[in-house]
Amino acid sequence: MNHFEYLQPTDLAEASRLLGDGPDEAMIFAGGTDMLSLLKDDVVAPRKLINIKGIPGLDDIRYTPGNGLVLGPLVTIRAIKENPTIREHYPVLAEAADVLASPQLRNLGTLGGNLCQRPRCWYFRGDFDCLRKGGATCYALEGRNKYHCIIGGHPCVIVHPSDMAVALLALDAKVTIYTPEETRQIPLNEFFVRPAEDYEREHVLKPGEIMSRIEVPAPPSGMLSGYRKFMERAVWDFAVVSVAAVFTRSGDRITGGRVSFGGVAPVPWQDEAFNRKLSGLRLTKRSVTDACKTLLSGAEPLSENAFKLPLARNLTGSLLLELAGVPL
Amino acid sequence: MARKIIKSKYFVEEDFVEVLAEVPAGGSSPLPTNQEMKVIGRPVTRLDGYDKVSGTARYTFDINLPHLAHARTLRSPYAHARITAIDAREAAKMPGVLGIIHYQNVDQIPWYGSSFLFDPHLRYVGDEVACVAAETEAAASAALKRIKVEYEELPFVVDAAAAMKQNAPAIHEGGNIQGGKPAVYARGDFDAGLAEADVVVEETFTTQVEVHNPTEVHCSVVNWEGDRLTVWDSTQAIFSVRDTVAQSLGLPASQVRVIKRYMGGGFGSKLTTGKYTVMAALLAQRIGRPVRITLDREEMNLAVGNRPDSVQKLTVAAKKDGTLSAMSHWSYGAVGAYPSGAACSWPLRTIYQCPNVKTEEYSVFINAGPGRPFRAPGHVQGTFALESILDDVAEKLAMDPLEFRRKNHATIDQVMNLPYTSKKLLEAYDAGAKAIGWDRRRKVPGADKGRYQRGLGFASQIWWGAGTPPAGCILKLNRDGSVRLIAGTQDIGTGTYTVMAQVAAEILEIPIERIQVNLGDTAVGPYCPLSGGSLTTPSVTPAVADAALQMKEKLLSAAAAILEVPQGELVYQRGEVRHTGDTSKKKTIVEILREMREQTLLTYGARNANPEGYAINSFGAQFAEVEVDTLTGHVKVIKVVAAHDIGRAVNRLTLENQFHGGILQGIGFALMEERVIDPQTGKVLTVNLHDYKMPTIMDMPEIEVIIVSEADTKISNVGAKGVGEPAMIPTPGAIANAIYNAIGVRLHSLPMTPDKILMALAQKG
Ligand SMILES: Cc1cc2nc3c(=O)[nH]c(=O)nc-3n(C[C@@H](O)[C@@H](O)[C@H](O)COP(=O)(O)OP(=O)(O)OC[C@H]3O[C@@H](n4cnc5c(N)ncnc54)[C@H](O)[C@@H]3O)c2cc1C
Ligand code: SF4
Repeated sequence: MNHFEYLQPTDLAEASRLLGDGPDEAMIFAGGTDMLSLLKDDVVAPRKLINIKGIPGLDDIRYTPGNGLVLGPLVTIRAIKENPTIREHYPVLAEAADVLASPQLRNLGTLGGNLCQRPRCWYFRGDFDCLRKGGATCYALEGRNKYHCIIGGHPCVIVHPSDMAVALLALDAKVTIYTPEETRQIPLNEFFVRPAEDYEREHVLKPGEIMSRIEVPAPPSGMLSGYRKFMERAVWDFAVVSVAAVFTRSGDRITGGRVSFGGVAPVPWQDEAFNRKLSGLRLTKRSVTDACKTLLSGAEPLSENAFKLPLARNLTGSLLLELAGVPL
Repeated sequence: MARKIIKSKYFVEEDFVEVLAEVPAGGSSPLPTNQEMKVIGRPVTRLDGYDKVSGTARYTFDINLPHLAHARTLRSPYAHARITAIDAREAAKMPGVLGIIHYQNVDQIPWYGSSFLFDPHLRYVGDEVACVAAETEAAASAALKRIKVEYEELPFVVDAAAAMKQNAPAIHEGGNIQGGKPAVYARGDFDAGLAEADVVVEETFTTQVEVHNPTEVHCSVVNWEGDRLTVWDSTQAIFSVRDTVAQSLGLPASQVRVIKRYMGGGFGSKLTTGKYTVMAALLAQRIGRPVRITLDREEMNLAVGNRPDSVQKLTVAAKKDGTLSAMSHWSYGAVGAYPSGAACSWPLRTIYQCPNVKTEEYSVFINAGPGRPFRAPGHVQGTFALESILDDVAEKLAMDPLEFRRKNHATIDQVMNLPYTSKKLLEAYDAGAKAIGWDRRRKVPGADKGRYQRGLGFASQIWWGAGTPPAGCILKLNRDGSVRLIAGTQDIGTGTYTVMAQVAAEILEIPIERIQVNLGDTAVGPYCPLSGGSLTTPSVTPAVADAALQMKEKLLSAAAAILEVPQGELVYQRGEVRHTGDTSKKKTIVEILREMREQTLLTYGARNANPEGYAINSFGAQFAEVEVDTLTGHVKVIKVVAAHDIGRAVNRLTLENQFHGGILQGIGFALMEERVIDPQTGKVLTVNLHDYKMPTIMDMPEIEVIIVSEADTKISNVGAKGVGEPAMIPTPGAIANAIYNAIGVRLHSLPMTPDKILMALAQKG
């Protein structure tokens, strides 16, 4: 771990200024659950750490019927998990928080940090000078890649580690980005960067920019939603594959909705073709299972992760049917 | 009490050992059964429980000395390389740096047989290059990065199959097969047995490298006083640390004192003296200050041992009536870069009756961290393969798997050709089958139709763990009537303090609170064996009993002198000596000691010799119920019933602790734990507890422990066999058979992770 300066600004403008030219100069420190291990493992070495927890007003949870939910970036995962309004109106979000990490990490970890956390690829975290760290090769391609992506990869085949992002993507959330000049808002799916565009970054934030708000539209009436995360042990693990589903129904048909995935791609993933097919899909075991057969059909699994495809399909089918109350 | 010196032979961690031992000349007479006991056998809570949960207990890391310096190790980043130059001058000038050692500035100290403490020939990622002492750990870590090392990279191999090939990179001069040849064993005529058989099954099984990862990391604190060295070490073997450190430093063993009070687990990884301890001692000597060296989790996963992997090809042949006629085992496994052992055929050789057996096993060097004994070395992986194939043979014979095992029950040790002191495996089958509800088992594997499919499976276990002399215990009776037990064993977290106190409390009939136990100090305690191989309780508790029985005699003799009556007219009861006729004549322990003024009473108890002409083994069977999620491949272990013959249960609580831990560790090995190496660089990828997946408390099934044995009176006065290793041995095999019963597909490769199960289910269709 390098030596660094630890700074505690009290407003966004000051924080932004302190961030300077980018991660080599300064990085944001929120809950620190990811930052600390990045520092200790020498994955990053900023000269300054900017603790943003002293900035007031960034940990609010506000829900207005009709308008939806507004979350500050410093809202903790635990606060989301335990918020009765979120549990009632956005079960998918609360369920993603339920299965995230461990109680200690949920107490400390923030939503902003969760969306901006760095990948868990064991080469990236280890002593390897890989592509994403400025090196010349992606070691996972020819190496051990059971936990890597099956779609949307190349030249780097990470998976995005965030659970919250998958749930928020299915809810069509937007993020607000603070910049000294103007504050802008973008849809969450434009927040993440695919390796083909730039394999050294996971999100679009530029030096000095800070995620300052997350907004979730009001749920349509009768919205069903849920999150299923597959882990190799009962708790305290990242998703091998996870799926979030949000939809409305009329009778035995889906009238509209969205499914998103974690653990399959370098960014929280949506299969646009599948989402288009959702509208009108009959909620019977047969038709849902059939529809899932073509899910992620562009997938190109690596040498050790072909299992992720059936896993994603099975999880999706069972989640849709469970939410609809159709016996499996 | 008369004693004699004998040659004691016993097994520790798969090795046959002979030692000279002082033992009671008269043998031992058994203590009463547990039903007649008040303290032994009861669920007595740990004497050190409060200290541990309150944080009062001082572990090695907690030892703090004035002017303590901190050391960190520079390790090889290459799987195979030669150091061509090393320059530590810049590092030495860094703030807080006190001393740096490496191959150019310390004597060559032999290590691993043919290598050295600092060997410029580096054979794995993690091999020791240099060690720095500094004012803080951070300063030492910073200095590591400034040591300039030039390496000549050499071709490497991290896979045992590749390492066995003709032109593989040679890790040692004699080639990559340890000892140059396989270990072989044969009895009877394998081919004749095969010819007689009606059913022959041949299958290949593989198991992964498992890393111990005890909660407490390896740590030593060392302090020189003149030419005497004190070492606090987190170790399972204080005496072997003393001897290795003394030998490495060229000191008489008497000048090295090793202390270990509390420990947070070792599982075999702390049976061997670490290079880090010697490096710390060398640094401390140079800088004239005490040094603490603590390994981090990454080093724990690189450099302090592991369970070698295995590829095991088994052939099992049986007759129509279910009798085994021939078995063979051919295997190889990677021991890492330095000598260890990958053999795993012992269960196949002994546990079931079979006249014709042959085994051939290769321990193979690869460029990875060296293996070390791991909770039942060889047996866990060997039992998984054996019990899996036996279930397949039973199915071919259309026999119930349990019936098949009963049919081939062995009554003698077929390798040694000796009877067992006791063997209650059949009783374990009955009790275990009843508790799990074996008759619920699906007769057709994979019979369940829905998403979640359940199955039952079981596996048997054999292990040694008889305990052995020499093991001594000093019992000191103080003036206030309190008792101090002093022994050179160590409590590695299993409850040794408590079980020893129980035995003394039982025999002296005094409250356990009046007993204090001092263990883990080579300068104080009489020699006891290392704490591995499930040796501790069966070795040391008989010595305590011996010392306590002698103390009773001493108290009678003292009371006779005080009361001026013949000793024969006195009896000892509940901490009191009383006259059989005149009830007014009595003396409590405290009264006797008071009359003896400043004197304390001392006795020395010794473990008896094991009986000649017997094999001593523990046995057991574990029954697992699992539920497989066929949509995800996830296996949930619902329940494990552990029915075992372990002689006398000395403490029901610490005994259950061993089973809970062993079974959970077995679940980890069966379902998730695996050291993963990058084939391109030879670097270990699983160097933290997120990537190296161990089960959590949420993965814990319901566990029912049934002990089918009473004291084994042939072994010792206490009659206990060890439980540490038996608790884990059959778990993976039982789970594997339960999974097969649930889904009807046999998994041949551990860990049985969801991806393998999902792909196997897909192939089944
Ligand atoms: C053992 C372990 C298990 C875990 N398991 C899971 C899991 O199951 N699921 C999961 O989703 N996550 C998991 N995590 C990741 C965990 O770190 C996050 O979930 C957590 O929410 C991160 O929040 P934080 O506030 O601690 O982030 P920090 O560590 O403070 O920051 C993380 C990153 O985000 C940046 N950042 C923080 N806030 C902002 C902001 N407002 N604007 C811009 N950039 C910002 C930081 O600069 C840093 O790069 C796990 C972590 C560990 C250590
Ligand atoms: S997947 Fe990405 S982060 Fe991992 S090794 Fe490849 S380039 Fe590096």
